[in-house]
Amino acid sequence: MKGCGFIGAYSIETENLTKRFVLNRGLLDLIRNPGRREVITTLDGVNLKVREGEVLGLLGPNGAGKSTLIKILCTLILPSEGNAYVGGFDVVKEGGKARSCIGFITTDERSFYWRLSGRENLQFFATLHNLPRSIARDRVEELLDVVSLKNRADEPFLNYSAGMKQRMAIARGLLNDPAVLFMDEPTRSLDPGAAKSLRDFIKEHIVMQRGKTVLISTHQMDEAEELCHKVAILDEGKIKAHASPNELKGRLSADSSLRDVFSFYTGKDFAQEDSKTMPFFMRRNGKRGHGLGMGMKRKGF
Amino acid sequence: MMSFEKALWFIKRGYLLQMSYRFDFFLRMFFMLFNILTYYFIAKMMGDAAAQYLEPYGGDYFSFVLIGMAFSGYLMISLRSFSESVRDEQMMGTLEAMLVTPTPTTSIIALSSLWSFIFASFRVLLYLIIGIVLGVNMTDANVGGALLILILTIICFSSIGILSASFIMVFKRGDPINMLLMGTSELFGGVLFPIEVFPEWLQNISRILPITYSVNGMRHALLQGYSLGELAPDILTLALFSIALLPLSLLIFERSVMKVKAEGGLVQY
Repeated sequence: MKGCGFIGAYSIETENLTKRFVLNRGLLDLIRNPGRREVITTLDGVNLKVREGEVLGLLGPNGAGKSTLIKILCTLILPSEGNAYVGGFDVVKEGGKARSCIGFITTDERSFYWRLSGRENLQFFATLHNLPRSIARDRVEELLDVVSLKNRADEPFLNYSAGMKQRMAIARGLLNDPAVLFMDEPTRSLDPGAAKSLRDFIKEHIVMQRGKTVLISTHQMDEAEELCHKVAILDEGKIKAHASPNELKGRLSADSSLRDVFSFYTGKDFAQEDSKTMPFFMRRNGKRGHGLGMGMKRKGF
Repeated sequence: MMSFEKALWFIKRGYLLQMSYRFDFFLRMFFMLFNILTYYFIAKMMGDAAAQYLEPYGGDYFSFVLIGMAFSGYLMISLRSFSESVRDEQMMGTLEAMLVTPTPTTSIIALSSLWSFIFASFRVLLYLIIGIVLGVNMTDANVGGALLILILTIICFSSIGILSASFIMVFKRGDPINMLLMGTSELFGGVLFPIEVFPEWLQNISRILPITYSVNGMRHALLQGYSLGELAPDILTLALFSIALLPLSLLIFERSVMKVKAEGGLVQY
């Protein structure tokens, strides 16, 4: 694997990965109950293995722990227990080396400098990836070409449409030619046409041409079926199932869909999950507990 | 070599962002001129009234206050820039994208502040040029000594700024170091008036503040052309502050990063 450590067969591997967050409490609550400590378990003994060149779809309802898992693998959050390796590097002990193997594609369009041009943004992030100037320049031009933004590259980022911003995020994720790509709901803010076009792009350019290992978290079942070699269903911090989409469907009945698989393993209706905005700290059964999405409103950890 | 390229890109980014808000830039420059003129006329009004206090600094209040204002700017920038760069990147949403690159967090924060220091230096230069135009005499200046004091000042103040950023990293708001030092330094640091004006017991507060030695040394170097030997007490004190504060602040910052990574609050604000 280019630029990464010895990894054996797996690009991503987690062993009993657990993450617990201590909840922040208000001053009054601290005074009333000084000894109490409220903890939520967002990931609970997660074991995952992703082979080189494999595309794994991470499916789960809001608050299942998908973003927490991706952020631990990207070294942005430390796990409470267990181990995680990306590109053969321990994400806790060898964070810098692990990050050199990683490309992170986030849906947050704010993660760019809006007043800089697309080209300037990419050149800036290329430097942070330790790419020397000449290599950075060539890589940026190549990627602008790949994402079809070369003719708009000198415009300020703020002029770009949602689809263009997402393509810029993909270009940035590929700057260091990473062995492993993490995509956190890459089509979330796109209309169906733009989402389809992005999916085609990921399939053609990232998976087929470049053979990257990809971990993609998504709510879109058709996206998972179209892109992923394997799917892991994560719910309340636990991996409920991990196999290829066909294998998972085959476990139910001949005419079942991935949507049925999702409902079977999580006990939740996908259509509702997809559109529902959960109140703070409430699980779908209405009880307090673990399962808190990184993108959701919370009191802060 | 890579660090140099990174530094250049951070400076370029700061410059491009600053220049994309041109009106803000020109307003700041304009009101800086107002500030200088205010003290110029206060000094004119005072005449020789404060001569007994100003004698160790050359006797002229405008020269005294100009150096104080110009170099206290470094304290403000050092205290604010690290914590503000953490907070700005958090709020803009760019911090996470930077932290998944192999560049260490400490380098990202330090480099993010680089433009602020360059901008502060530009302001200091403007202060000095306007001061000279308005009659401040720096013909005997010991430029080498002033540069040495400037470097120690930046190291010392930056260390305090990194401590301040550690607080912001963990608590997000309400940094006590910043509030305490900003308030006390302006009053007790000898920025706007000599500390000799204070009764002896209050002067003890001034003596524990790095800014006192910074502006004092700078005035002696630029206005009176003191030699390195004569500047030694201020230089040594600033060096001691730097030696004590820099490793401590870096250690605390590293710990803060680990703490927020464990809590999952690295990109929250």
